[in-house]
Amino acid sequence: MQERGEGIAAALADEPGAKTNGTPVVRAEQIHKSFGDNVVLDGIDLEVSTGETLVVIGPSGSGKSTLLRCINLLEPIQSGRIFFEGEEITKKGVRVDQVRQRIGIVFQQFNLFPHLRVMDNLTLGARRVKKMPRREAEERARDLLVRVGLPEKERSYPHQLSGGQQQRVAIARALVMQPHVMLFDEVTSALDPELVGEVLVVMRDLARSGMTMIVVTHEMQFAREVGDRLTFMDEGKIVEQGIPADVLDRPKQERTRKFLRRSLQMAHSLEELTITQEGEAE
Amino acid sequence: MDILASFEWSFIWENREELWEGFKNTMKASAIGIGGAFVIGLVLGAIRAHRIPVASQLAATYVEIIRNTPILVQIFFIFYFLPRVGVSLEPFTVAWVAVMIWGGAFNTENFRAGFEAVPQRLREAGLALGFSPFKTFLNVTLPVGGRIALPSSINTYISVLKNTSLMLVVGYAELTAVAYSIQANTFRTFEMFAVLAVAYLAIVWMLSALIRLLEARLRLPEAL
Ligand SMILES: Nc1ncnc2c1ncn2[C@@H]1O[C@H](COP(=O)(O)OP(=O)(O)OP(=O)(O)O)[C@@H](O)[C@H]1O
Ligand SMILES: [Mg+2]
Repeated sequence: MQERGEGIAAALADEPGAKTNGTPVVRAEQIHKSFGDNVVLDGIDLEVSTGETLVVIGPSGSGKSTLLRCINLLEPIQSGRIFFEGEEITKKGVRVDQVRQRIGIVFQQFNLFPHLRVMDNLTLGARRVKKMPRREAEERARDLLVRVGLPEKERSYPHQLSGGQQQRVAIARALVMQPHVMLFDEVTSALDPELVGEVLVVMRDLARSGMTMIVVTHEMQFAREVGDRLTFMDEGKIVEQGIPADVLDRPKQERTRKFLRRSLQMAHSLEELTITQEGEAE
Repeated sequence: MDILASFEWSFIWENREELWEGFKNTMKASAIGIGGAFVIGLVLGAIRAHRIPVASQLAATYVEIIRNTPILVQIFFIFYFLPRVGVSLEPFTVAWVAVMIWGGAFNTENFRAGFEAVPQRLREAGLALGFSPFKTFLNVTLPVGGRIALPSSINTYISVLKNTSLMLVVGYAELTAVAYSIQANTFRTFEMFAVLAVAYLAIVWMLSALIRLLEARLRLPEAL
């Protein structure tokens, strides 16, 4: 398995990571984002340095997806600033599409292009955005398909694959673009339980190969073993941050404790949970 | 039975050259009309689906006017009214312009619906790869939405072809007009209308078969 991790590193060997020496890959400063009256991000500060894996957890509706979408400029923010490799990307006049080329994102719904075979899903961006010759793009894509364990699927259409396979294709599709950071938004939440592992393994190996990642997830085991840092978000704010094992085992904030207790994976048994008056599991 | 008994195949044969000319004229006006309806539908459908200000409202108005008036009225308008404001058109031009404008309006709706059926999350997947909004349209919305719009736009193309038969009224020598004038001179009504029915059936079947072939090749492999 370690071998595979090095494989991904090799596939991304020509990464110009050196120029980001010291500067965080992503830095957010006091992001505020609301939809109408609904304040979704309420002063978020965040920093991810090269090669780091930041795991973000938090209850549903706390703004995790919105945070990733803001970083990828899919959502405009009301105030605050976001820097990517030292350059402010939230200021006017920034070429949004050029920024996005360097930020990979994988969604909960795999969002593969249904009319294209796996190979074309992988190479579309490289060929049409980066103007990479087809042969080169396909070579790169084949490498990545091997890394995500799907070398024999290049001729398949997305609907012919299982959810776990589609999600691995989606990860490979983002990687073909040679992103400098990868954002993962609950990428295993739509999967049958027995398919979760194959996707997490790919992400683990990617993290080990030195990719910078922000991972929104409910998989506490993954957070603990792969995350360099863990952030707990609630109601648009960062409540607690630290080494994953510390936050998970010895949460300092009451809100974190409550969330972790409710999260079934952290409860030792279903017997320990009851429904509170607010209708929540405690 | 009398009619059948008196049916003369030789009569059709005798007029084959004129009928063949009519057939070719029908195909000419149809081909241009269908091509034009495709382009109009694509462009205006995209404008409608993306709610581009002003252009979208103009397109909607055009669609409403065409969909809610009889095509004969539209043909007369082009043929009789335009010359009064200085735009005089030959029958051939009137023929393809009229069916193109008619088909374009229906096709605008076909493509609008197709593009709007493309999930936002697929477009975002395109944007996330670094495509500009326009390139996202070309690479994601168009190929996916175009496939969704295919069956309904095929029906529009078939109607465009059949509507060329109305160009009889402007004196364009397409198949129906030719057959009509032959029977008017010879009173061989049954033979001529039989020719028309068979010819249109054959053309539409051929067109359908061709397009179904295309549809099978392009069909989206899954429901979205
Ligand atoms: N496009 C939108 N328009 C309006 N409100 C939105 C939009 N997207 C998200 N929201 C709101 O923003 C809040 C945060 O949503 P978000 O999806 O970021 O939460 P989340 O932490 O990712 O939750 P989950 O764990 O359920 O995915 C929610 O209250 C949601 O209703
Ligand atoms: Mg979410």
